[in-house]
Amino acid sequence: MKQIMLITDGCSNVGESPVMAAALARQEGITVNVVGIVDYGAIGELGSIEIEEIARAGGGMSRLTGTEKLAQTMQMLTRKTVVQTIQQAVNKELKHILGESSVEVLPPEQRAEVVEVIDELSENSPLQVALLIDASASMKPKLAAVEEAIRDMMLSLGARQGSSQLAVFHFPGAHSGEEAVLDLGWTSNLDSARSIFQRLTMRGATPTGPALLKVIEFFRYGKLNGHRGIHGTDEKGEGEAMLGDYVV
Amino acid sequence: MVRMRKVKEKRCLVTTSSNLTLPPGTIVTGRWKGERYLIQRLLGQGANGVVYLVKQMKSARLYALKMGFDTLDLQSEINVLKALQRKRRKNGSTGKRDLSYLVEVDDYSHQGKEIPFYVMRYVKGEPLRSFLTQQGSRWLNVAGYSLLQQLEGLHDLGFTFGDLKPENVLVSPYGEVELIDYGGVSENGRSVRQFTEWYDRGYWGAGGRTAEPSYDLFSFAVVCIHLLAEPLLKEAAINLPQTRSKSDLLTIVRRESALQPYRKWLERALEGKFRSTAEARQLWREQVQKQVLQRKSKSPTPTWMMGAFTLSVLLLLCALFFTFWN
Repeated sequence: MKQIMLITDGCSNVGESPVMAAALARQEGITVNVVGIVDYGAIGELGSIEIEEIARAGGGMSRLTGTEKLAQTMQMLTRKTVVQTIQQAVNKELKHILGESSVEVLPPEQRAEVVEVIDELSENSPLQVALLIDASASMKPKLAAVEEAIRDMMLSLGARQGSSQLAVFHFPGAHSGEEAVLDLGWTSNLDSARSIFQRLTMRGATPTGPALLKVIEFFRYGKLNGHRGIHGTDEKGEGEAMLGDYVV
Repeated sequence: MVRMRKVKEKRCLVTTSSNLTLPPGTIVTGRWKGERYLIQRLLGQGANGVVYLVKQMKSARLYALKMGFDTLDLQSEINVLKALQRKRRKNGSTGKRDLSYLVEVDDYSHQGKEIPFYVMRYVKGEPLRSFLTQQGSRWLNVAGYSLLQQLEGLHDLGFTFGDLKPENVLVSPYGEVELIDYGGVSENGRSVRQFTEWYDRGYWGAGGRTAEPSYDLFSFAVVCIHLLAEPLLKEAAINLPQTRSKSDLLTIVRRESALQPYRKWLERALEGKFRSTAEARQLWREQVQKQVLQRKSKSPTPTWMMGAFTLSVLLLLCALFFTFWN
């Protein structure tokens, strides 16, 4: 199972539409969830509509939350979409076998068996979550909380029986043309999630759409800019090292 | 994966889409089995459902009925209860009451929606905190031992309770403990399904969220600290996540005088050093016995009694003096 989780506090303002990028992700089998942070000041009507639309196009869910409940919200969305993805597959099978279209309409005994399968799969299926963090200037005071939420999320994912991996990106990069920066490549190691954003330079723009497209690419090729293959000082690397150089 | 997480003490309803407030007097009829239940009153609201006290119409017996916000979530909880019951039967567990925990599972049609519910036995009792307020905190000796017995039973069947906190522990007038809200019960080795931050060892950087007996023992240690040294625990919980650690808890245990009788036990639970729940229960008992013995041997004559005695001797002397002087 593949998921992108976008964490932002406002509206995109540069480049490709993020809603379209999310729709593309969904076509590639990647579910997109969105968390809107509403700590200091409101997120704005435009922002909250966009957040909802990105998630809908990406087949995922969206929530607005303050930083104090960020960890909780991120984990809840991840869990719900994992179950949802499995449930959709199970429902398809159910329709095929029983002519029933959802778990809810089954009588309690059969429902029990189906839910057992769903639980089993939710706990055991391999899971990859790419976190995409909005690092525009207004997000600066929230980044410590974001980092803590990432650590907490790794703790929870680490308790699953199936393999679970996390990658962390922020956007935009330090100079134009760099839509997203990889901070942490696929990992399930809790200790690697320390001081992820230490070397971050904040910029004003919020190119959410282009950044999402970059992450889709990463899912496809295992690195950023895979199809171009230019940034490669070390083509075989996970992308972590080579991109680290760009963060000044 | 961790299913649900609650911030501190607040109940966070993840799904609040369905409004399940039903007034007393409502009759809940099961869609599949047709059993009818009369709602008496609301007993409580959990993370994934609402619990009512109901009277079964055909038998006039009282039960607790839990309605779920989410069909899948409630069904997983029911599945865990069923698995527990199966295992208890297989092990030939003695307690008759344990076997009848889960009474019925059905759906209720309400405002055009199917609401899943299950019926379980109704347990009377006080939540742990108010029980200790009423009876005195020394009763933690008794309730704690009973709680460890309950946990041991659960652990032996291969499950971890998960969401252990004062609200989920009901105590009978003589300190017998009953665990309620099985939403967090998880098979050992899997991830904990539901937890509350304060009592979660991951929150204190003291270990993972995998279901295992030591997870519950850690939670119980924090419960003890919460009950006997609440202000200090609150202070430690405010700490930044990076600096928050189990050594904060250990410091409280070493400093707070109310915790001294339990110190050895709490330290081992926080450090995850118990090899089994049986061992944890054993140590709890030894501590309680030691406490009782110390009280007996040490109990010196109270100063007020000495004072009163001196006073009465003085009065006697005065009386004698006046009598003979005249």
